[in-house]
Amino acid sequence: MSDHTNKRVVITGGTSGIGLATAKALIDNGARVLVTGRTPASLEKARAILGPDAIVDPGDALTDIDALVRRATDELGAVDLLVLNAGATVSSTVDETTATDFDALFALNAKAPFFTLQKFLPLLPAGSAVVFTTSVSNTKGIATTSVYSATKAALRSMTRTFARELIDRGIRVNAVSPGPIDTGILERTMPAAAARQFLEQIKATNPMQRSGEPEEVAKAIIFLGFEATYTTGTELLVDGGASDL
Amino acid sequence: MSRYDGKNVVITGGSSGLGLAAAQHLVNNGARVLVTGRHQETLETASRLLGDNGVAVQSDSSSLPDIDALTDRIRSEFGTVDALVVNAGIGSFDPFDAVTEQTFDEVFAINTKGPFFTVQKLAPLLVDGSGVVLTTSIANQKGWDALSVYSASKAALRSMARTLSRELLPRGIRVNAISPGSIDTGKLDKEAPGKAAQLKAQFTESSPMKRWGDPSEFAPAVAFLAFDATYVAGIELVVDGGESQL
Repeated sequence: MSDHTNKRVVITGGTSGIGLATAKALIDNGARVLVTGRTPASLEKARAILGPDAIVDPGDALTDIDALVRRATDELGAVDLLVLNAGATVSSTVDETTATDFDALFALNAKAPFFTLQKFLPLLPAGSAVVFTTSVSNTKGIATTSVYSATKAALRSMTRTFARELIDRGIRVNAVSPGPIDTGILERTMPAAAARQFLEQIKATNPMQRSGEPEEVAKAIIFLGFEATYTTGTELLVDGGASDL
Repeated sequence: MSRYDGKNVVITGGSSGLGLAAAQHLVNNGARVLVTGRHQETLETASRLLGDNGVAVQSDSSSLPDIDALTDRIRSEFGTVDALVVNAGIGSFDPFDAVTEQTFDEVFAINTKGPFFTVQKLAPLLVDGSGVVLTTSIANQKGWDALSVYSASKAALRSMARTLSRELLPRGIRVNAISPGSIDTGKLDKEAPGKAAQLKAQFTESSPMKRWGDPSEFAPAVAFLAFDATYVAGIELVVDGGESQL
């Protein structure tokens, strides 16, 4: 991997799964990384994995944006790469989805990234980059994901409009769109048997006949963040070929 | 240890422009790179630029006998291949009603048929876990003046990134496309004599980044798809300053 010495990086939802793998890869290459997370267990695990140089922030993605920006200002001064990765999945059919569920998921997956980026703008210098984590479900019709997929489609759209609005300031905005990645989130959000069945199904249907590893998405995020200097507004798929094949 | 130490890479159309930039990037990071081109002069320049870890071979991407000979050469030079970048291509800037059958056939032979058979012939040398990268163009998803044949030839190639990927995945080979926008390789001056200056000014004006890309910005994307994108297949990665998206 390239050298990322002294690059300043903020990753929301960076204490588990894809965000944590990205933080680890960057710290191993010399970057200064601030990650946010919500659950005490994941915060503790992130501290253990990332080591003493990582800044692990227990901020709530929705309510603590101002505090996070202050912390990033104090600790890092400016931000070379902002990864807006925090999000949640909810699995429910259209007829069982309540307005509360709907609002909660849009708040976390679409509104929070929107305002996090807005409030981080003063910290983003020319030449910096933003990467959103979307999902392949935003271009697919997958049962029980209507609200989740719609939140990610909103985020994919923002990738384009933010890219356009920020291009004159020299800030690139792109999205990484993971397919089935083995982050452990299924086991946390589904009954164990259902999670196992889902993973088996992925193996059977994915063109690569496996789910992806968080480290494989991390490489794409780091590529978009630091190497893709003539690329903005795109969505990079990391899905084992599921969308195209 | 460098990032691509010990990797064998083949880049068709790698003796100039985008292909040469990719070759230089990979050689600088430890890979051994064989590039092809049609003209002795550019091959000599490429050979000098790439140094000891570069091999420059004369080969016409549209000639099936040349592709066979190239395959033999690669087999003796490298044995196996870790990344194949099918980058050879030609521009064509004729208005629709001025396109002759000869132009049509020539552009498709170089941009579509040659790449197809290059992958077919070299596939047996590609190792499990290798990557193939096809150079397309954002023209393949746009409707631009005077680019009907070129865009169609690249759209066909984009399609192949999907189907060849599907067919080669069982062998552990990933196929993806890289889609450059306006990148200044100096080729426009040769391919559109007289119109180059005007086209360049036009693209600068219409580009969201208000500039042309540099070939050195294309190279890391090739390397990413070839080596790092291990859970990515069948996609097209755009390197276009935002042109196709914004």
